[in-house]
Amino acid sequence: MFGVRSASMLVLAGACAFAQPPHRGMGGPPPGGPGDFAFVRGEFGFSRKLVTGAPYSAQASTQFTQTLADGTHIQRSSSALLARDSQGRTRTEQTMSSIGPLAASGGTPRTTIFIHDPVASMSYVLDPNAHTVRQMQISQRGGQFQQNGTARAGAGPRARGQRGGNATTEDLGTQVIQGLNATGTRVTRSIAAGSAGNDRAIQVVTETWYSPDLQVVVMSKTSDPRFGESVYQLTNITRAEPDPASFAVPPGYTVMQGGPGRGRPAPAQ
Amino acid sequence: MNENESQLLEGLRALAAMEPRQASPRVEQTLRATFRARAERRRRAVWGSAAAGFVAIAAAIVVLFLAPLPWHRNLAAPPAASELPSDANNVAGVQYAVVRTDDLAASFYPLPEADELPPLETSLVVRVQLPVSSLELMGFPVSEEAGAEPVQAEVLLGQDGLARGVRLIQ
Repeated sequence: MFGVRSASMLVLAGACAFAQPPHRGMGGPPPGGPGDFAFVRGEFGFSRKLVTGAPYSAQASTQFTQTLADGTHIQRSSSALLARDSQGRTRTEQTMSSIGPLAASGGTPRTTIFIHDPVASMSYVLDPNAHTVRQMQISQRGGQFQQNGTARAGAGPRARGQRGGNATTEDLGTQVIQGLNATGTRVTRSIAAGSAGNDRAIQVVTETWYSPDLQVVVMSKTSDPRFGESVYQLTNITRAEPDPASFAVPPGYTVMQGGPGRGRPAPAQ
Repeated sequence: MNENESQLLEGLRALAAMEPRQASPRVEQTLRATFRARAERRRRAVWGSAAAGFVAIAAAIVVLFLAPLPWHRNLAAPPAASELPSDANNVAGVQYAVVRTDDLAASFYPLPEADELPPLETSLVVRVQLPVSSLELMGFPVSEEAGAEPVQAEVLLGQDGLARGVRLIQ
């Protein structure tokens, strides 16, 4: 990890060197209008585990709230339509108006559709506005996939106490959330005074409600005094088999060769 | 040295000066033959050692540069197709880029708040353009020199749309 961080810092240092700003512009507007960032495109998406035999569709929403020192509240939100079929294929229709505390520029939120087909080991990213699709093959040779219920560290919800020595984990029992039985876990991590320049200890609380039936997180809350509070939840959950067409590239889309850093049209097939 | 000893020494020197002693011809021939035989053996030993050394060096050259030792094979022989670290694959005649999810997480700089967020179920990677200074709002350590110049970055999002990691493209 240290190597990765070091490399990233080097990259960042290089980027900073090229920036050479005349002044420090916190959150200065990127091209495209006011906002913290401009959406360029979706690159790819994939599920971290293979869940078969548990189809569902749902709406996901995330509310992010940050309270500044002067009492100002900053609220951001993002939403998505989720679907998974019995074979484990997933579709995420993500509408991005923000990434955490960062607001998208341009006013109108951008929608991107991510389809992951583990059967064919393919990932598709659809741009409904431009009617283009970026496709690429997903390789998960490292065993990221898992069959139903065979929990594996790093693939499903984290094991208790995995977040470090200062974390305490509470079992919140079982609740019915959005019609699903969900098991709750609250992890409280204390960042000791002085460890991050803080003069007092910081308490970060994460509450997660997980559905063993669907094997998805149905609700989560994270409260971090440093960054704010985020609430994620699934609503309108249906357990019927989604329309198979949802996991296919619609006709009329121009195929772009996918992959990080790419985006050129594919040669005619 | 006393007087007797001095007289004895002078007598011996006088005797030696009068009649220099030489080995008999037979003894001399025997000694010469012996020395020749010993010198011949030494020559043979030297040439034998040189020849053995030459053979050993030649064998080492052959072994190191010509013979396919196991470690040599690994370097020289083309790997099997399944071992190729390709970043492209051919599916039904179409070339696709291959994204190795195993390597994906390690290629992003993890954001400080990401460790507190729920675990990843779905990973989405989006490319955005933003000022470097905006990364500070996400907890990314930013140099004081950073400003409003836009850079492109890829952001790793979770199923909740919250960022877990970032990597700069430019």
